[in-house]
Amino acid sequence: MTGTLALSRLEMLRVLRNKRYLIFTVGLPVVLYLALGKQTTATVYGGVAFKAFYMIAMASIGAFSGALTGNAQRISQERKDGWIRQLRITSLPASGYVVAKLVASLVTTVPSIVIVLALGHFYGGVQLAAWKWIAIGVAIWFGSMTFAALAVAIGYRFMPDTVQPMSMLIYLFMSVLGGLWFAVGGTMQKIAQVLPTYQITRIGTGVILDGTVSMTAIGVILAWLAGFIILAALSVRSTAEKI
Amino acid sequence: MTVGKPGPSREPVVAFDEVSKVYGPVRAVDGLSLDLHHGETVAFLGPNGAGKSTSLDMLLALRKPTSGRIRVLGSDPYTSVKSGRIGAMLQSGGLMPEVTVREMVELVTTMHPRPLPVDQTLKRAGIADIADRRVDKLSGGQTQRARFALAIVGECDLIVLDEPTTAMDVESRQMFWANMHAEVAEGRTLLFATHYLEEADQAADRILVINKGRLLADGTPAEIKERAGAKRISFRLDPVDEAFLLRLPALVNLEIRRDQIHIQSSDSDRTLYALLDAGYRPREIEVSSLGLEQAFLAITAEDDKNGSDEPEMEAAR
Repeated sequence: MTGTLALSRLEMLRVLRNKRYLIFTVGLPVVLYLALGKQTTATVYGGVAFKAFYMIAMASIGAFSGALTGNAQRISQERKDGWIRQLRITSLPASGYVVAKLVASLVTTVPSIVIVLALGHFYGGVQLAAWKWIAIGVAIWFGSMTFAALAVAIGYRFMPDTVQPMSMLIYLFMSVLGGLWFAVGGTMQKIAQVLPTYQITRIGTGVILDGTVSMTAIGVILAWLAGFIILAALSVRSTAEKI
Repeated sequence: MTVGKPGPSREPVVAFDEVSKVYGPVRAVDGLSLDLHHGETVAFLGPNGAGKSTSLDMLLALRKPTSGRIRVLGSDPYTSVKSGRIGAMLQSGGLMPEVTVREMVELVTTMHPRPLPVDQTLKRAGIADIADRRVDKLSGGQTQRARFALAIVGECDLIVLDEPTTAMDVESRQMFWANMHAEVAEGRTLLFATHYLEEADQAADRILVINKGRLLADGTPAEIKERAGAKRISFRLDPVDEAFLLRLPALVNLEIRRDQIHIQSSDSDRTLYALLDAGYRPREIEVSSLGLEQAFLAITAEDDKNGSDEPEMEAAR
């Protein structure tokens, strides 16, 4: 337990020191919101004002890209370099490495979410009840953890050269089709509805619109989470002798 | 061949019982049985692909044997590893990137049930001066020393090192073994894999020669040399009586090229006297010592030649 905690702490420090994290997880959503958040205030997206929709979308992008791309790349590289092997011959519990990665992801996505939501309020002028802010933040936070599980599945299974483009493709697919870059309609929306990214924003817009949390959205996200956890467990197990 | 030391009555520190590891058609380890005793420094010597790393991986619970059983320190490998009783350094072990050497050593120290002070570990591994450097910015030799530091962060009973001095310069290597002897002097058992033969000769008090996943020889460096035929006798003889030469005492290997004879012998005096006593008068006699390297090559070459037959050097005696 002490070992897992110590590893989690060091993993967090690593992420916070990392430039990629600063640029993609925190920097990019902030810059985009500053640039576009106020631009089309009159337009309504997903039933809410653009400034509110875009705040939710940007916070989601930062959080889920951090959980997915950064983690997948690191896990794959550390498997290749033998760091996971090294940890296996310490007293760290067998699950310690994966747990530490998930804990570090949970913690390091918080700043990016909080900063973008704060921007939405102070810069974009989004006014909401306190509980709605919390509900939106928590939905994005836990929703993005789905992708931390996927990162484990990919990182354990594939080599870094493959993981890089693969996680980028998944990131683009999930963010574009999930309607994070622009609201989707028509056929696109039908596809979007099965994606966790779309459902994360739908929880947010639902909370803003009528103060309810969509149970369908939670169901879809949990289904993806369960699927990714199973994939992750399979990856970890099947590579046990190759690490 | 017996081990020189009187074995203590307690259970062996490491016991392999008919251990095999099969990957598809390849038998990486093939019915390996061995015992290591308390306080021994044992070298695992073999060419690349001999099964050394696979054996150590199984000892450290990184791989499961296909068949057979391994006991370490009175329990199964996984339990022993997780209780921190084995300090190990892997050839393929990596380091944590993006953190400093000190941060990494502190981390692994925290994981250990019987930790030693971090400063002491850094000093013993010879990396106190680079403690604040980033792990991914280290040179090859420094990386190797940092790996070693991770093996000694806590009190342990068995130290396992897989080719520990690879990538080290001569100076680092000497310092490494000086440290290692200090560790063993404190009553630990040490097992290391190497293909540096001088290293096995100098550092170990027992050598296990392994080839194609099987144990070929087990003894002190002196015994290993003797077993392979530690002396080489060369001379010219005309006419050659091969049947007689093969019956010479202490003969290990015989090579005949026309009138040029090369003999590997475990006792060159006896071999030569027997030849002279029989009335032969060989010309251009030369007797030279075989180093451990040649002894080792002789043992593995013999094994390769025999194919799957039981490699038994004594058969020629």
